[in-house]
Amino acid sequence: MKSIKLERINKSFNGELILENISLTIPQGAFFALLGPSGSGKTTLLRLIAGFEQPDSGKILLGDEDITHMPINKRRINTVFQNYALFPHMNVFDNVAYGLRLKKIPAEDIERRVIKILKAVHLEKHIYKAISQLSGGQQQRVALARAIINEPEVLLLDEPLAALDLKLRERMLIELIDLQSELKTTFIYVTHDQFEALTVSDQMAIMNMEGEIEQVGTPAQIYEFPNSVFVAQFVGTTNIFKGILHRSADKDSISIEGLGNFLVSVPAIATWAQDGSTAFMSLRPEKIEMSKKPLEGFSNQLRGTVVAIVYHGRSTQYNVHLSNDMVVRVFEQNEEHFPKDVVDYNDEVYLYWQKDNVVLLEK
Amino acid sequence: MNKQSLRATIAKEFTFLFSLPALIWPLVFLCVPLATILYLSVVSGTVPIISFHKYFQLIDWMHTRIIMRSLILGFGTAVMCLVCAYPIAYFFAIKAGRFKNLFLFLLMIPMWTNFLIQVYGWFFLLEYNGLINTFLLKVGLINEPLYLMNNMVAVFILMIYCYVPFMLMPLYTILEKLNIHLLEASSDLGASPMQTFMRITLPLSMPGIRTGTLLVFVLGFGEFAIPALVGGGKYMMVGSLISYYFLVVRDMGLGAAFTVLSGLVLIFFSFCIYLILGVWCLRDTKEEI
Repeated sequence: MKSIKLERINKSFNGELILENISLTIPQGAFFALLGPSGSGKTTLLRLIAGFEQPDSGKILLGDEDITHMPINKRRINTVFQNYALFPHMNVFDNVAYGLRLKKIPAEDIERRVIKILKAVHLEKHIYKAISQLSGGQQQRVALARAIINEPEVLLLDEPLAALDLKLRERMLIELIDLQSELKTTFIYVTHDQFEALTVSDQMAIMNMEGEIEQVGTPAQIYEFPNSVFVAQFVGTTNIFKGILHRSADKDSISIEGLGNFLVSVPAIATWAQDGSTAFMSLRPEKIEMSKKPLEGFSNQLRGTVVAIVYHGRSTQYNVHLSNDMVVRVFEQNEEHFPKDVVDYNDEVYLYWQKDNVVLLEK
Repeated sequence: MNKQSLRATIAKEFTFLFSLPALIWPLVFLCVPLATILYLSVVSGTVPIISFHKYFQLIDWMHTRIIMRSLILGFGTAVMCLVCAYPIAYFFAIKAGRFKNLFLFLLMIPMWTNFLIQVYGWFFLLEYNGLINTFLLKVGLINEPLYLMNNMVAVFILMIYCYVPFMLMPLYTILEKLNIHLLEASSDLGASPMQTFMRITLPLSMPGIRTGTLLVFVLGFGEFAIPALVGGGKYMMVGSLISYYFLVVRDMGLGAAFTVLSGLVLIFFSFCIYLILGVWCLRDTKEEI
């Protein structure tokens, strides 16, 4: 396990800038997720680290070693490909043994290690099967085994679970977490699925459509304290209000056109937040309390009409139409089989939230 | 039975009629000629008696040599076509990117030219005062012209020229389907470019190699026009001997027997090639390459 350090990486294809001035440190032994929408350049970044592409400028360090121009086969980095890229003319054993055979390791050692690793990924019953006889989930495990048997310093995973169904994906996520904590290898996990990223990683970076890194942090930091509207909207669901900030000694508030004034708390680090500056307020749907009658103990209140109800099972999403024509999404836990207070279409409801539960954003 | 269900019954019972052309064609143009040749090779004379004496006439050094010469020509052409076509197919399919269709098109254009025009085009290049000799003399690499025409060199050059497309197409088809991620995965796992080629690219392109080799071998074995045109008439091939027996000697029995014999030899060696190259791809390569 070693760290990966990217220093001012630029990369363009056919004159189009894919990655712009990327600097990023991935600490050793981390389970690091690289999250971004399709086309944000996250796969390109992964391919640069693996060595399939060369950056136009900038440096890539593995530990202290500059590997920017090192050939692919010399890097102690292995990749789990999105489409698995298993060798179709080899069986499971030969696929997994491929890397070890290239290193001219004695046959009996190879056999011992391959069988051990196949047991670890629960494939001991399929050792001599052809790749075409395996299910998608089993192929995924072969791809994983084939990469980790080489004991890489860094393991790259390029949307490894994209082709699996939801249940299997959830199980594989847990297995990946267990595997990583056992191996202590640095994992870099590329995905566009925020659920996967939040689940597996202990640190993550969010990339935007311009090929820049928007924010780096732990999943909780990213979810609770996004630093831009893009991050707030990309990770999870949120409601964004645009308004003007009013600051005074005892209280801070934001005035939103058509809705009124709302109390907010401005963190000390937000130096951009001056009296009169434009700001965005991000309010997560699950942090809103909804009631048919007015409630006590909340300073911030909105009134609106329910226009849509989406039942998710464990929770229900209500779309509430406000007086300024904005629609706010609210999640309510379905805690009881027979709730006393049933909210229906066209009901008038009151929405409440604590001022500490909103995030103020500059852009 | 009402009219509609009658029609349905007719449609159901007689749809096989539509496949008749596909059955009649091989029957008339493959089975009947083959049966005729077989019949002619064992039945001769005015009294129809089955005898194999025409075959015994073929057992001599001359016929063996001609068959061996055709085998060598076919096999040699196949091997050299493979050597020439593989890098080209690899380049077109993997490295050429968006220009690959253009390259392929440019390569195919000469194929549409009449065969004789192609051969005479080569005359200008290969003859004693031809372009190649003139060029080499001017450059000073040789002091007197080389004999490039009317020998085995010319035969092989033209054989390769004419048969390379038959090797190129199957190779290109199989290499174009090759998943580039497999090559990336191989180098990712520590393989050098050479190791990746030997362990991934070559085994996965074996079906194409096999198809191409068999195609060129079979066609090259039966070739007689090129040796006749540029071989200076020195080299009798299987094809030319067959036409000689049928059209010049007019010994139908001998011609038919020789046809059957050389056909069997061809089938035997094709099968050998198929098996030898098949060992390479015995493992499951049928699924998504």
